[in-house]
Amino acid sequence: MISKKVILTGSFGVGKTSLFNQFIFKTFSDKYLTTIGVKVNKRVVTIDDQEVSILLWDIAGEISQDKVPNSYFLGASAIIYVVDLNRPITFQNAKTDLDHLKKIIPDSLIKVVGNKIDLIEEDKIEDLKSIMPVPCDIFTSAKNGINVEDLFSQLASELLANN
Amino acid sequence: MIETQVKNNFDEETFLANKLRDILLKNDRASIHKLEGILDNQDELAERISPIVDYKINLLKQKFPKEFQLAVNQIVEKKMKESQEEILDLIYPVLGRMIKKYIVHQFEEIKEKIDNQVSSLFTLKGLKMKIKSLIYGIDDTELLLSNIDKPKIEEVHIIERDSGILYGSATLRPTIDRDVIAGMLTAIKSFVEDAFQREQEELEMIEYGSYKIFIQNFRSYYFSIAMSGSLSVSQRHELSASILTFAEKEILQLLSNDGAEKYEIISEKLKLHFYDTEAKIFN
Repeated sequence: MISKKVILTGSFGVGKTSLFNQFIFKTFSDKYLTTIGVKVNKRVVTIDDQEVSILLWDIAGEISQDKVPNSYFLGASAIIYVVDLNRPITFQNAKTDLDHLKKIIPDSLIKVVGNKIDLIEEDKIEDLKSIMPVPCDIFTSAKNGINVEDLFSQLASELLANN
Repeated sequence: MIETQVKNNFDEETFLANKLRDILLKNDRASIHKLEGILDNQDELAERISPIVDYKINLLKQKFPKEFQLAVNQIVEKKMKESQEEILDLIYPVLGRMIKKYIVHQFEEIKEKIDNQVSSLFTLKGLKMKIKSLIYGIDDTELLLSNIDKPKIEEVHIIERDSGILYGSATLRPTIDRDVIAGMLTAIKSFVEDAFQREQEELEMIEYGSYKIFIQNFRSYYFSIAMSGSLSVSQRHELSASILTFAEKEILQLLSNDGAEKYEIISEKLKLHFYDTEAKIFN
């Protein structure tokens, strides 16, 4: 079994901890609690009979990623950059943030996740895509669990392929 | 008439003298002319002078250490004296940190010895121990130490420094997921080191109640040893030495193993080494 460090990051209130809880514990809470520092947990994902232990670091949200201590990102095999589809302010800095992250960990996989898709009307999604500075790799809802398993399965497959 | 004759003789002498000078100086003048030509032509001059200059430079290089060592030493010495303040500014923080660490360590050891002596002399328990020591002929410090809360290694982990991924671990009792412990410890360590930015310093211990987690850092990994009980300064140093021994003897070989059993092999080695160490140091 291989172990990989994966970081959940993005602006505050985008649903990182909800994605974390949904992936690790399959639970969701409406109560908003700011993450202080970092929370770490793991889940083993099986892809084609191969196990990948995903050590997920849920980092406290910051408006800009250069505010997050660089050492949190070191040694990460993948980064999940989460934006809130309902709040354009959370993806305004996406390009700068991703450039910053690529500088710190150039070999890391990066997934841009548009969260809270459950709050978006279907006909608005295309408009939303057109105003985003970076395309989302996947749209999720931590609340309903939409695409959360797919996100981590895709990630695990790519991590296995890169190993 | 006579005047005319004299003049003619003078002119003839001058003419002859000039002619004689031309004959005598002919070769010298040719040489001077040639030299002027060389001096006026830079390329030609360089061609002639360069070998001599090169030769002299080589000679200087060969003889420099012998001939000028004393002079250079004097200049360096003078410069160092003049720049003493700047040099001290550069060296002082490094030396200061080393000295400070050493002094703190020495004070801890002295304090511990004094505390032990005081408690063994002035308490009822101490008095009893003194009597016991006299009766059985056992050193009273040993008796005192054996009576206090014995240190015990609860858990040992080797963790990859940046990612927090667990290389191996040993524990005597079931705990929560060790991967999570390793990840959270790394996160705490990163947080503390980033937050306080003490240059080269790193988190070395986490303490709550009588439970302590000792952290010993290496370049790409670190050891975390969770302990219960009271650990004396000398025991702490023995533990640290034991970690160094393990790192020196085992770790490179263990980490270079890419097999599926890597985690199990490292964990088994840790268990053997550290529970053996515990027996040697703490009993």
